Amino acid sequence: MAVACPIDLDTRKLRDEIRSIYARVASDPAGEFHFHRGPDYAAEFLRYDRAALAQLPAESTASFAGVANPHRIARIEEGALVVDIGCGAGMDLLLAAKSAGPRGRAIGIDMTESMAEKARASARAAGLDNVEVRLGDAMSLPLEDSSADVVISNGVLNLTSDKSVAFGEVFRVLKPGGRFLYADIVVANELSESIRKDVDLWTG
Amino acid sequence: MLAQVGFRDVEVREKFDTFRGTSKERIARKYAVTGINIFARKS
Repeated sequence: MAVACPIDLDTRKLRDEIRSIYARVASDPAGEFHFHRGPDYAAEFLRYDRAALAQLPAESTASFAGVANPHRIARIEEGALVVDIGCGAGMDLLLAAKSAGPRGRAIGIDMTESMAEKARASARAAGLDNVEVRLGDAMSLPLEDSSADVVISNGVLNLTSDKSVAFGEVFRVLKPGGRFLYADIVVANELSESIRKDVDLWTG
Repeated sequence: MLAQVGFRDVEVREKFDTFRGTSKERIARKYAVTGINIFARKS
């Protein structure tokens, strides 16, 4: 399912490139990118509920750059503690916070400071006080063991250089019986060596 | 890979034509890259 990291891939360069691209998505979501962004894309391509998106602050939906839709996988129960890995500007995070309700909690993790700040501002604008955003990395989540009822992630774990470490972190932070609502890209055909080493393609 | 980590009930629920209309559409089609929804549960 996931692509193994080639031994000689420059993972530091990969992380820097990811930070740079998503900082640009945060500051200029209408700019030139090789992936779609925004609420119209989310509704048309990924079957998000357009009415639910319209209730969110525009700054959270404009920078949305997910690749699938974790909210269609299973319902998030009221009172749940939900973690969103790579929350970006917060669109999925705010939807999760609304599902979890005032008795629940939604914690977003993002490694890009400008995205994390956008998500915090969006939560304030939406009047959601059950949202917390932490700066952190999917390979080393700033969360306690067995603390989450639900983990969601959308288009982020494919960017990590070692999927088994990232999935292991999701497993670690979930409570026994906890659910992983995982949205990402999948590559069905075998990739050439040169493609696997191309940082530009990893960041797409 | 999810099952190897210890997840159970791993199931693909839905696929999406995520890269349609982007500059990466051609390479996405060549390598059959799609968006995907997956369910998994911690045992």
